Amino acid sequence: MNDDETESEGEIRASVEPASEDAPSSPGSSGYVGEGGSTSATTGSQFEIEHEEIEEDTTIDMDRISISDSHASWIPGKRHFDEDDGSISWRKRKKHFFVLSHSGKPIYSRYGDEHRLAGFSATLQAIISFVENGGDSVKLVRAGRHQVIFLVKGPIYLVCISSTEEPYASLRGQLELIYGQMLVILTKSINRCFEKNPKFDMTPLLGGTEIVFSSLIHSFSWNPATFLHAYTCLPLAYATRQAAGAILQDVADSGVLFAILMCRHKVISLVGAQKDSLHPDDILLLANFVMSSESFRQVELTSESFSPICLPRYNPSAFLYAYIHYFDDDTYLVLLTTNSDAFYHLKDCRIRVENVLLKSCVLSEVQRSLLNGGMHVEDLPPISHSGSSHLGQHMLPSDSPDRFREANSGIGGPAGLWHFIYRSIYLNQYVSSEFPSSINTPQLQKKLYRAYEKLFASMHDKGIGPHKTQFRRDENYVLLCWVTPDFELYAAFDPLADKALAIKTCNHVCQWIKDVENEIFLLGASPFSW
Amino acid sequence: MGVSSNESIQLCIFDLRRGQHEGQELDKILFFFPAGLPFSKQLSVIGLSEGLITFTRIFSPEAACEVIEAERHSHVFHEAEPDIWMVMLVEKSNDSEPIWRDDALRKVLKEIHSLFVMFHGSVRAMLEKEPGGGLTRRHLYSFIMDYLRACKKQSPWDNCCWDFLAGRKLLLPSFRDCLKERGTVQMLTIGREAAIEVQSLVRVLESSAGNSLCYSLILFQDLLVSTTLSPDDTINLFTYAVLRLTPHALSSGSSSWSYLRKGSTASNVATESNSAHPNTLSESLYGTSDISSGEDNNYHVVRPLQSDKWSKGKDGYLVTDLWGAEVGTWVFATPTVWLQQTGEKMYLCVYQHKSLTLMLMIPVSAVPNGEQGVSEVRRQIIENASLQILKVEEKLSKGWGGENAYHVGGYRYLLVDGDRNVSRASPATKVTTLTKESLLAMNKLRQEVELEKRRAKLDGCNFEKDLEMCIRTKNNAWVISRVTRGKELYMVLEKAGETLLYAKDAVEKFSDSVLPMPNCYPY
Repeated sequence: MNDDETESEGEIRASVEPASEDAPSSPGSSGYVGEGGSTSATTGSQFEIEHEEIEEDTTIDMDRISISDSHASWIPGKRHFDEDDGSISWRKRKKHFFVLSHSGKPIYSRYGDEHRLAGFSATLQAIISFVENGGDSVKLVRAGRHQVIFLVKGPIYLVCISSTEEPYASLRGQLELIYGQMLVILTKSINRCFEKNPKFDMTPLLGGTEIVFSSLIHSFSWNPATFLHAYTCLPLAYATRQAAGAILQDVADSGVLFAILMCRHKVISLVGAQKDSLHPDDILLLANFVMSSESFRQVELTSESFSPICLPRYNPSAFLYAYIHYFDDDTYLVLLTTNSDAFYHLKDCRIRVENVLLKSCVLSEVQRSLLNGGMHVEDLPPISHSGSSHLGQHMLPSDSPDRFREANSGIGGPAGLWHFIYRSIYLNQYVSSEFPSSINTPQLQKKLYRAYEKLFASMHDKGIGPHKTQFRRDENYVLLCWVTPDFELYAAFDPLADKALAIKTCNHVCQWIKDVENEIFLLGASPFSW
Repeated sequence: MGVSSNESIQLCIFDLRRGQHEGQELDKILFFFPAGLPFSKQLSVIGLSEGLITFTRIFSPEAACEVIEAERHSHVFHEAEPDIWMVMLVEKSNDSEPIWRDDALRKVLKEIHSLFVMFHGSVRAMLEKEPGGGLTRRHLYSFIMDYLRACKKQSPWDNCCWDFLAGRKLLLPSFRDCLKERGTVQMLTIGREAAIEVQSLVRVLESSAGNSLCYSLILFQDLLVSTTLSPDDTINLFTYAVLRLTPHALSSGSSSWSYLRKGSTASNVATESNSAHPNTLSESLYGTSDISSGEDNNYHVVRPLQSDKWSKGKDGYLVTDLWGAEVGTWVFATPTVWLQQTGEKMYLCVYQHKSLTLMLMIPVSAVPNGEQGVSEVRRQIIENASLQILKVEEKLSKGWGGENAYHVGGYRYLLVDGDRNVSRASPATKVTTLTKESLLAMNKLRQEVELEKRRAKLDGCNFEKDLEMCIRTKNNAWVISRVTRGKELYMVLEKAGETLLYAKDAVEKFSDSVLPMPNCYPY
């Protein structure tokens, strides 16, 4: 199977050309009834002509895509600018995302040049408004392997066209996050522009931010936070995290709304003034915004920035101001305030934080943790207290750096355990084990990620969920899921794993997590902490 | 979608090759229910459907639009023949999630179409014969209306229903039917000895028409005993038999029709005064009303699904005037069907003895002297097979475990053999004891499995999907699905133990006792 991340080639563009006045005009919604139902007068005939071409070129094109597919060499930013809805390659992309205005003006497209997609965008708008005129709103269209998902947010329409096997609920959640990411940059006040002028062109306002969206979309295929709605922490000794937390608390008390210390997409520590707590989705969107924008990273010498930012779950209508500073390539501090004049105060705060972090070796511990990784299934302690004796695999202590050389390669943990994700309900946090060497390519990892995504959606069905337990076996995995009021466990095993042993192992994983929760979770960060 | 709140179901058939020019859009419409809906609204439904078919083909040329889910409606699509689309539009109750599976609704569309083709041939062929389309519309209209009425009668459920046809209920398959599978046959399990008797009966039956290649189908009650037809043809004839021919079907009608009243013509059959389409425009489109008064029509529209039209004659054969009568006589014309596999037109003879229903299909081409030839064959059968029929009926009756024969205590299940289109399920009366939550969960699970199956099929991978899912629901029921080599097992266990291992044992015990299902096909 070829995959949807086909972006190893192609150029990176950081800005869009200004809107051209001679973009194709909207064919309007009347096309459906009066004109024999083709999607639009222009594009409709084009489709007819090229139909043959698609059929013939299928194999060649698929090959090209699969060869160029490489998740490891993922380069941020937008590719395939030369494509539009007439291109066969464009039609074959596995996952499209579109943002458009209610008047049909394109705002964002994952692939292809927005302005060349004006006709296509108008078609999407026509579908949405046609259904709306009938007093309804369209959610999903399914055709073969493809799903078209619609999300209407006031004057902004979001559409995903996907042939990945992700469930509707996941794809809809991804559209919500894309909308959230737009709010991070613009806030909801953008709606007022559309109230004043329905034909308002939003693209200039988002100029240069394609990279933020493409990086978010990329995270839909590797970051469990996007469907779990929980954040994850960098594993650290309890004392180390405490030290970081203490100084963050210190600066928070001096008028900073939120102080967040992160390493890549993982939280080291975070502190909120008063009782405010950050929604995990806000953390995700904030981290994505900060990490994908090169400008925050590459401020020479000082590497500090001050930028308006909106946290959509906190307050979608207002900007906060973020002071962002990178301590090294991976570790950064974000200080949020409501005060637009606070730059120098926040700079002072940062210096205080930096001094403490250096003094208590937090930054070097962070680097060490990055190298060591988190929980490895091979390290799951043997089941001693449960009396099972046939799992006599020798386990090394979890902090041994020689782990990989000594553990038997590629089999994963006991009872065929390959991987697990544990989500603590109270903490709003999850921990995901490292991938074993049997799941060592980005393709395999994405496949497992998608399996979890499906399992999550199945467990959390809107109407009848959440279920309590699920066992699922197909040709790829045995998956087990366990949802309780306190936590959720998702575990993947070898497809031939024994059911009874797998269940036992899951219980064991939960025990293991309880034993090390001090190191893998940030405790005391939310009012619900244990 | 142009639907006011009191219209909960719409069903349309349209031909994308027709009405291409502006002002001729109406020509696309071959069928629309309710027929009284203003044309602007009908065209709006068809316009949206057509628009999305075109749109989805951009990305998915090999499989166009299958379903549209909107906040308040589901549109289910089925391309019955190239460019001939059937779309069913159902309204969701309140704001809740759909309570049906689109796959189950699509199977209704498929069933309508396959039965139509069995009796009338393909829609396209009919349109080619008569490009105006009037005849096709009239056929579709009376056929589908008869089908919907049949559904209404058949449904054992009293909830989740659809109010139409002057206040009568039509029931679409809902989550409560999640342990049923439309488009499959249900089999009678018989012993070895009985099987041998049945085989010899089949031989006698099929040799009664001389050298021509005949096919037969034998039912006991509403269960299939034997077939020599292809799986697809078997389903069609089985479905028809259960709807109209078996003793159960014959007695569920008003049974007011009898030989004695044959003189009073067909018009005395009470048809619902159809208030749904008073629109004269639509009448001209669909060809007057659906009442087959016989005289005013230019063509005789055969309505094989009309209810209460079959009855048992003195000689044991079922008779009907649905196919009209020989000119100038009271001899009813023998029903004919088209076989899907061979494309042959066959005479259909149905003989009934107690619970046993025998259907014999004789090629029309093999009977040169028409009705006379057919009566000769009938006579032959009685002569040759009477004894054997008595024997088989007796044997099967003795072995018959009654309505709950296939109930397995503690389990509520559905077993589907996709290769042979055979299914077996817990008796409906047992399934009703399940809670709504369990049934909804099973409905959802089936939906998930259907998506997986569909994908495996699209991927064209010939290896069968192998999948096992076992869910402990909020209300502490286990809903389980197991798909292996084309066989699917679904079960709901309420009041079962908490651990997954308990569920696993339960499934294994069940599999040992109930699997495998009997094989009805001689090949």
